[in-house]
Amino acid sequence: MNDKKNNVFLEEYENEFSYKKSKTNLNIEFNRIAFIFFVFLVISIIYSIQLLHLGSLEIQNEIKSLITKKNYRADIIDRNGNYLVKTVSSIDVGINPIEVIDKKKLLINLKLIFPNKNYVKISKKLEKNKYFYLEKKITAGNYEKIMMLGDKSIKSEEKLTRIYPQKNLFSHIIGQIDDDNNGISGLEKSFDEKLKQIKEPLQLTLDTDIQFLIREELIKFHSIFRSKGSTAILMNVNNGEIISMVSYPDFDLNKRETVTDVNFINRATKGVYELGSVFKTFTVAAGLEEGLIKIDTQFLNLEKRLKCGKNIISEYDKKIPSDLTVEQILIRSGNIGSVRIGQKLEIGKLKLFLEKIGVLSKIDFDIEEVGEPIPFRWGKCKLATVSFGHGITTTPLQLAKGYAIIANGGFEIKPSLIKKDLEDNQNQKRIIKEGVSKKINKILRKIVTTKEGTAEFANIKGYEVGGKTGTAEKAIVGGYTRKAKVNTFASIFPASKPKYVMVVLLDEPKTSEDYVYKYKNKSGSYKGTPFNTAGWTSVEVTGKIIQRIGPILATKYIEN
Amino acid sequence: MKKVVFTIIFVLILATSLVKNSTKEIEDKIFMVNENIRPLKSELGDVLLEYNYLSSPNKLTQYQNQYFEKDLIKIDITKIKKLTKKNNHIKVSDFIEKTIDE
Repeated sequence: MNDKKNNVFLEEYENEFSYKKSKTNLNIEFNRIAFIFFVFLVISIIYSIQLLHLGSLEIQNEIKSLITKKNYRADIIDRNGNYLVKTVSSIDVGINPIEVIDKKKLLINLKLIFPNKNYVKISKKLEKNKYFYLEKKITAGNYEKIMMLGDKSIKSEEKLTRIYPQKNLFSHIIGQIDDDNNGISGLEKSFDEKLKQIKEPLQLTLDTDIQFLIREELIKFHSIFRSKGSTAILMNVNNGEIISMVSYPDFDLNKRETVTDVNFINRATKGVYELGSVFKTFTVAAGLEEGLIKIDTQFLNLEKRLKCGKNIISEYDKKIPSDLTVEQILIRSGNIGSVRIGQKLEIGKLKLFLEKIGVLSKIDFDIEEVGEPIPFRWGKCKLATVSFGHGITTTPLQLAKGYAIIANGGFEIKPSLIKKDLEDNQNQKRIIKEGVSKKINKILRKIVTTKEGTAEFANIKGYEVGGKTGTAEKAIVGGYTRKAKVNTFASIFPASKPKYVMVVLLDEPKTSEDYVYKYKNKSGSYKGTPFNTAGWTSVEVTGKIIQRIGPILATKYIEN
Repeated sequence: MKKVVFTIIFVLILATSLVKNSTKEIEDKIFMVNENIRPLKSELGDVLLEYNYLSSPNKLTQYQNQYFEKDLIKIDITKIKKLTKKNNHIKVSDFIEKTIDE
């Protein structure tokens, strides 16, 4: 029995052996399932790749459709989020005369909706069998009424309209678009593609309130000094953000007029002027930068007149002493002293400095309406005239940039109208020594505070204004005219740690007999403009502007 | 081992289908919300445009001349004071620190 049992056991063992075989079979089945899963996996991967591919195609198509979308253009806002430009869609209604069934009936119906239209003209247009616009930017009520007529010949077209709630305030900067949604001037032109693509509004660095106040002052003084035009630029010296840029006269963008009068150009960027003595700051800064002069370096026995070729260089202020230090030359705006500093520098060094601060060549800016400084050939006489700001031209924007670089400690900046992250364009490469900047800022302050200085009227309490005046006669064929002047004041404030640069330029101002000046460094007032110089015109305008915008700048931009 | 692989695959398939289902629901909700936001955004834009126009400096000056008898005055920055709170005490100081040359 036991043996039998043993045998059974053996059989069982054999069975177990055969079970092992069947286990192998099961493995084959498992591999099959795994294989099927693998096939499914591969199919699903291919499917996913295809889905991803299609997905990316959709995005590309969406971008393309957005690019080509005719009725889209991003809005433009100021630094505080206020609309400067807003796109709204409007409907134009036209008539295709070929599809008109009953002309008389149509005219009667139209007369009921638009009673003030000239129906003789419309009737003639209907006979010409050519499509024409009946009413552009139709009101919602009239659109509903005209569509209720159910006439097949009446066609409607959806178009975009740009609304400018600030009217004239930013006309030169924003620019205009044509009927086909293409920018034709200003930011509308230079950012044309971007405005058609971006979904969010384009944010500018400009401040509407400050722009308004500056423009108001320019208009006020435009009538007081009867100038041909004027411009003012306010810029942050540390990052190049332009807070305000006004050029007067300007125009209302909502009227969509074609402006052809040259007097309406953007004087801030397009106007190329000989700016006069404001350039003396650059000559002195170049001398300090090269280590050729010091603030207290004395120039003795300075002549009252110099002759260079056909040109006679003389002092504007006949009482100016013959012995002057570098500081006094800048404060008293000495022409001959500046020539002497220029001669010490020689052509190469002065030219290099002016190139470094970017006043000699065309500026790379956010709008295309930019003037190009008139090129000239350097020579001995040119060096002399350039040293005190004559025979050299540039734009007010480039002048502001130059002063900003000198004021901010010598760092390169790029003036900008487009708001970026502060870190992106904040102080980068130092191009002028810090010491030079500090010394010049101190002298600029003295020009405003001292009796000898030329800019007393800009000494507004609390703002530490510093700056340099520039009075230049306009060039005519064969020389200069005393009748037409360009009066400029380039200022920085607060001078101890400059934050802002402001350039005010009056184009061909005249003296005023009635305007009352209030002295800032002494008591009393003075009626009438005694001299047609920057000190009695542009400086006064700058003072009034700073008085108005100062509290806003000081409180609103305190964290900056 | 095979049981573990099977279980993992099964769990993964189940989890994927559940996640996918819930994602689809969320996507639908997002789409709905976006569609509802679109007209609101447009309305907000129009209201803001109106607000910007009516509260523009130009309009405010116009209203001021129209409705008020007194003229607006310039603020003298030297008269602005700064309040700083320290240990429940409020300290009043000048907003602009006076410099030597003023």
